[in-house]
Amino acid sequence: MSDGSVAHRQTGENASVATPEDLRLFAGVCARERDAFEALYRLYHPRLARFLLNLLHRPPLVEEVLNDTLFVVWERSDTFRGASKLSTWIFAIAYRKAMKALRRLDEAIEDRDAELRPSDGDTPDAPFGRQRTQEALMAAIGKLSADHRTVVDLTYFHEMGYREIATIMDCPVDTVKTRMFHARRHLRRLMDGELADWL
Amino acid sequence: MGRILPFTNDPHRETRDLMPWLITGRLEPEEQARVETHLAACEECSRELAAERALASEVAELPIATGIGWAAMRDRLDNAAQQASFVPAPQPLRRRFTIRRIGTLIAAQAALLAAAVTVTLRAEAPMAPYHALGSAPAAVGGNAIVVFRPDARESDISRLLKNNDARLVDGPTAANAYVLRIPVSERAHALDRLRGDAVVVLAEPLDAAALK
Repeated sequence: MSDGSVAHRQTGENASVATPEDLRLFAGVCARERDAFEALYRLYHPRLARFLLNLLHRPPLVEEVLNDTLFVVWERSDTFRGASKLSTWIFAIAYRKAMKALRRLDEAIEDRDAELRPSDGDTPDAPFGRQRTQEALMAAIGKLSADHRTVVDLTYFHEMGYREIATIMDCPVDTVKTRMFHARRHLRRLMDGELADWL
Repeated sequence: MGRILPFTNDPHRETRDLMPWLITGRLEPEEQARVETHLAACEECSRELAAERALASEVAELPIATGIGWAAMRDRLDNAAQQASFVPAPQPLRRRFTIRRIGTLIAAQAALLAAAVTVTLRAEAPMAPYHALGSAPAAVGGNAIVVFRPDARESDISRLLKNNDARLVDGPTAANAYVLRIPVSERAHALDRLRGDAVVVLAEPLDAAALK
């Protein structure tokens, strides 16, 4: 896996399922093998980067939180007891680190009045078709709260079940369902003009 | 009348809430069966499902570029290993303090350290030029003192040390200062470079001559 990649969803087998490969590498990490850690780092890097970029929207902060997260995996590997999947444990660390980083930033993390403001509208050279839909969707996701963005990304990109997401976000399963419902409703509303093209 | 049904007994709401995980195939078999039974009978939920599938597929296909690498982590591991060998009890690098207070502490500390270095050098200079087998390596004195910004990252500090051929000798002190050893011929230039870096608050030579 080269650096500077684009995170693509794994096809076929579910992307969030712990593979024998990641558990094998983790055993090496527990034995303090730097090579195993590097391989585990490269295995998780694209998914975590995607997750954190979607959540934090600030590439320099993503780099810091991602490395903080995997540094914990290296330093505190003894605290993984196997009660959850390895991926759930790692994502939960990343989520906690990301939320802490957001709280540390003394700035607004979302624009709650975004929907009340007039739309920027299209410029004559606005991109068309699929690219426009994707840009509109990214902008719409950017207007969700951090919690809503997290649930949407973990559900649709990382293909995690709601129980696993509840473990990562340390909240009740009904909260995950409610967040997802509100996030979907917001996205549909924000994507109103684009939605017709999809169906 | 007045009986409140739990949500799970409302198939319409349950279907609406669980739809995303039906799409990704992450429901338990019994949940999936209940949701599919309701979908077969509810036109509104069927329409909703079609729209939701479109949203799900668009979100999953969003290209989010990531440009972060292993190099930063490798530096961090190296740095952590280096710190572990230099500092018996590692302390957090980030501490909250005010620059004004630090100035006073550093001035006092620099004077004390300079005195200590001088005394140490005088005491050790005439020592016999041999070591007993198994003796511990001689302690190496520092010749510069540096304070990094409280938000400086370990990777920044590691980079600065490497670029200036500097070694960490002691620290963090009570005032979060670090004592470095820099090759004497390079020290003036190294200190200039350190002072010019955004994460460095203070970089000063540390010996009796420099404080005169």
